[in-house]
Amino acid sequence: MPGMPGMPTDGGGAIVPFTGEPAQAAPPPPPVRPIRHGVAPPIFRIYVSWSSGNLLQVACLRPPNSEGGGGTEELVGSVVEVNLGDGGSGGSEAEEKIDEGEMRRIEYGSVPAFALLQSRKNTLADAATMSHVPSVPDHAEWWQYVLEYSKTIGNLLGNPDPPVFMIEDPKTILKVREKPTSLRAAWELLEIFYVDKHLQGWLPERLVDWLSDFDSLLSTMASTVYSKLSNFQKKLINLQIVEDDPDYWNGLSAALSVGWLDIVVNMLRFHGSYQLDQMDNRETENGLVEAVAVLVSTMPRLRPNLPTGKLGQCCKTRPDFIKAWEKWRGQVTKLECSAFWIQCGHQKTRYGLKNLLHIMMGNINELTDATSHWLELFASHFLYIKPFTVGFEGMHLLAQKCIQLKPSSGTNGLTGLILGVLSENTEVVLAECTKNFGPWLVTHAMELLTADNDYADVMLHEERLNFGGISIEELHRLVYAQVLCSHSLTWQFLMPFCLFIFPRDLFSLLPLGWLTEAWIHPMIAPTYLSSCLNQGLGLLEILLLKQPIQDNCLVLKTLEICRLYELENVSTIIMKIAGIYHWKHGRKGTGVYWFQQAHDKVCLDRIAQQLFEHIGKSVTDDSFKQWEGLLELLGSDIGSAGGLEFLHRYRDFKRSLQQALDRRCGEAARQTVDFLIQLMKNPSTPQRFWLPLLHDSVELLNSKLSPLMNVAETTLLLNKLQELSMAKRCPDFSSNHLPSHAISSVRLALASNLARAILGDP
Amino acid sequence: MADSPSFRRHPLASSVDLVRWLPSSSTSPSGRLLAAAVHDPTSGPAASSIHLLPLSDPGSPLASLPLPSRATALRCSPAALAAATSSGSLHFLPSSFDSDAAVSVPGGAGFHVGPVRGLDCGGEEWVTAGEDGRVHLVGGAADGRVVARRLWDGKGMSGYEAARWASPVEFATGGAGCGVQWWDRRKGDAVVAQCNGIWGRGIVTGMVHSIDIHPSRKHICVVGGSSGTIFAWDLRWPQQPIPLSGVGLNGTAEPACESEVWEVLFDTYTQSSDIISSASARILPVMMCSEDGILAVVEQDERPFELLAEACAINSFDIDPQNPSDVVCALEWESIGVLTRGRDAMAEE
Repeated sequence: MPGMPGMPTDGGGAIVPFTGEPAQAAPPPPPVRPIRHGVAPPIFRIYVSWSSGNLLQVACLRPPNSEGGGGTEELVGSVVEVNLGDGGSGGSEAEEKIDEGEMRRIEYGSVPAFALLQSRKNTLADAATMSHVPSVPDHAEWWQYVLEYSKTIGNLLGNPDPPVFMIEDPKTILKVREKPTSLRAAWELLEIFYVDKHLQGWLPERLVDWLSDFDSLLSTMASTVYSKLSNFQKKLINLQIVEDDPDYWNGLSAALSVGWLDIVVNMLRFHGSYQLDQMDNRETENGLVEAVAVLVSTMPRLRPNLPTGKLGQCCKTRPDFIKAWEKWRGQVTKLECSAFWIQCGHQKTRYGLKNLLHIMMGNINELTDATSHWLELFASHFLYIKPFTVGFEGMHLLAQKCIQLKPSSGTNGLTGLILGVLSENTEVVLAECTKNFGPWLVTHAMELLTADNDYADVMLHEERLNFGGISIEELHRLVYAQVLCSHSLTWQFLMPFCLFIFPRDLFSLLPLGWLTEAWIHPMIAPTYLSSCLNQGLGLLEILLLKQPIQDNCLVLKTLEICRLYELENVSTIIMKIAGIYHWKHGRKGTGVYWFQQAHDKVCLDRIAQQLFEHIGKSVTDDSFKQWEGLLELLGSDIGSAGGLEFLHRYRDFKRSLQQALDRRCGEAARQTVDFLIQLMKNPSTPQRFWLPLLHDSVELLNSKLSPLMNVAETTLLLNKLQELSMAKRCPDFSSNHLPSHAISSVRLALASNLARAILGDP
Repeated sequence: MADSPSFRRHPLASSVDLVRWLPSSSTSPSGRLLAAAVHDPTSGPAASSIHLLPLSDPGSPLASLPLPSRATALRCSPAALAAATSSGSLHFLPSSFDSDAAVSVPGGAGFHVGPVRGLDCGGEEWVTAGEDGRVHLVGGAADGRVVARRLWDGKGMSGYEAARWASPVEFATGGAGCGVQWWDRRKGDAVVAQCNGIWGRGIVTGMVHSIDIHPSRKHICVVGGSSGTIFAWDLRWPQQPIPLSGVGLNGTAEPACESEVWEVLFDTYTQSSDIISSASARILPVMMCSEDGILAVVEQDERPFELLAEACAINSFDIDPQNPSDVVCALEWESIGVLTRGRDAMAEE
């Protein structure tokens, strides 16, 4: 756990002991990453902390005074970086792991859809409060919004349909297409069960469709219909007589049992009896094969339509379906009892075709043999045994039965999710999503769960005291936003949550594997945080303050988020931090710029003092060129320059003084004195600068015979000098490294000037 | 948001900081080319590079030049593609795109310290202006060696964010709070004019992000910066910048956006709505991209014409000099967009 020193154990050199949860049936093995730290045991302490991106820094230390090899040089400790992003060994999932770039594409793409749905929700809620009708949004309309959202997200996750223009080998059984991901499978499953009300009546057929898209994801180890067919496909090239191969008939019955009618018909046409040279000898046999193919392709299906290329006859209503079903079943039975079977010479064909007919007749034994995974058996029940299965309870009982019949198929994320859905247990669904599909799915799927389910709505939105007053929905959004910004701070912040709130039997700890999907990206997290009413803005502030400030463009991006969410106080702090950073690194202009933006008078005043000492030491015209840019930045009319405003005038004064002393011309001397008087009068000139200013002018005052100032001006300066003399007694007075006689020499110069002024006064 | 047929997004699976059209040659077998400065957001700043992408398939780079840190400026000339980085280095890739023939000026005390955002090619020489306040002229790439000559060292008193040549002897720079400066090499390589911009009214000052100078009107700079600000600066009236867009201006211009304007370019494709006066003082149409995802064309005293309104920031864009109807832009969400403007789209205006 980050930031926590862990004590190593003796067991097999493992640094951190990992105990799987014994309560779980099949805990996924934790991803193990060997670290070559090169520190000889015993290891005393281990520190883990986040570096940038997905880098984890692991420091291994030996005991401070270990009595090692006596003189032999051994490492006392070492720090190694571990990149969690480079795949690792976590290949236990059945699916192809979505790579990081692809996952980020999904994350970016889902932001606008999520934001649109939230804004619609807010609009509806506002409208409801305005018109004082019950605050529940109009469901009829609402689920359609959610469906639109769901379709948008679904498209992001990939399109399982094959490309339209594709020339395919007629001997291709399984169409080449984009590899399905279990993320998309899970999303579609939730959409089918929770959102799409249009097609509620055709739920079984939708499950059959879903299975045909995602059957390959059910298991990589155990056999599935998909794996049977793809194995047969590989074998097919070398087969001379397909109907002699048992895998051909196994593949056919498997495909038929899960309703992949187009594949069955296509495969039946591979049958040897279709070959022109054999047509004459095997006429009856060919007739039987074709009869089965026709029956397969005309199977009635209770659904509104079929995608192109799929077979069967659609029946929109129940009565239509029952009529068609009875007629079709009659034809199947008739063919099964036909006398032509005796004339069929090829035994394997006879047996195989009969088996197909038995599947179509809904013979449970044949179906159980043909299918491999319990979910396939489940789907075959809908197709051939109970086409009218409706209601979650019935489905759940059926699923239990199928699991008993196919106990070996095991469970993975998807089947766990289906069972959760069928048992109508939102908690389990949520837990399965959390465990298997990561925070992205949980956060976005929450909208699907609550689309038309009041119980889920209450369960997810109820503010819970044991969560610190936030709802489950908000919690998951907070978690997701933090994963987006994967940061040491946020990770620590989130750990207590996970340990605290998830009941152990339902939710497992956030698997570390999630972090491989994480990267520093603060720009999309605010969308999610802003939808968290209780703690969202607080966390957003923390995240924003943690953003890097080294780069001006990144700072501006962060400030833009502050502007959008009206976090003026946060943006002020960020600007001050950026100002200090740039000032420290010698970019004084940029530093001052940020302080000005932050209206930070205190820092600007302090900078002014530093700059004064700089300027005070070097007054040549050349060095002023460098200051020009900065002084231009401060501007003469900008009020917020704070103490720096005076620098501008001081620059003019110094330059003028230089000219006056160089050229000894009366006009320049007079102008210098004007600048001096202005500076001394101006309240923004700090008191500590008075004496140096006056001291600088001594030479000028003494150089002229005619008085440069009139009586009133001289008196003003003398008064200021008097104030200074009083202040000199205070302990915090600083004399700016001026000679100790500075005050007296200034006083003398002013007095002689006064004398001349009085004399010169008419 | 559905893509219109004239706009295509291409995901790149890495963050795109800058994007440019490369001068296309008829001999190039792969058609029109783009250069993009990208970095891998998961691996920290080390994994940055310049990719050469074919327009036909921007997802698969043809060549790649690794950079020591994130690119902060990217420009191309007929002879080379140049990139400056946030660690102060400058890299040249010759137009043969052979990454072995690439030359560079390392960042550090001898060159720039910190990000170099100002970079432009002025025929013979390149100008670089960094946040460290230094301005360099870099040239002599012919014999394979590059020589950087320091023109000015602001010692951090001012920092530069943009640089643009007006003529072989004049260029403009801009930066944080310091507005725009006009440099003349004939007058001792010094700043000869200065403009503080049009920031005001609550926003104390602003940062210049981008400068463009039209080749046929070398006395006018168009400047994009903080708070949706775009203004034109005419050297003949240096104290009166002409606002084109900005927040808090009193009615003179409608803001095209409210956030940072990252880049501005004169748009040679959009015809000025007032053709007769185009020879007069009127500023030519300017294209801009912004942090809040706007790509638009702004004109003096006209409503901005929005080309794109994306959900994420548009960090950079470029108009193809050879086909000015085509625009490429770098989107914050790890993709580039290619916009093709047709006659129909313009007729609607």
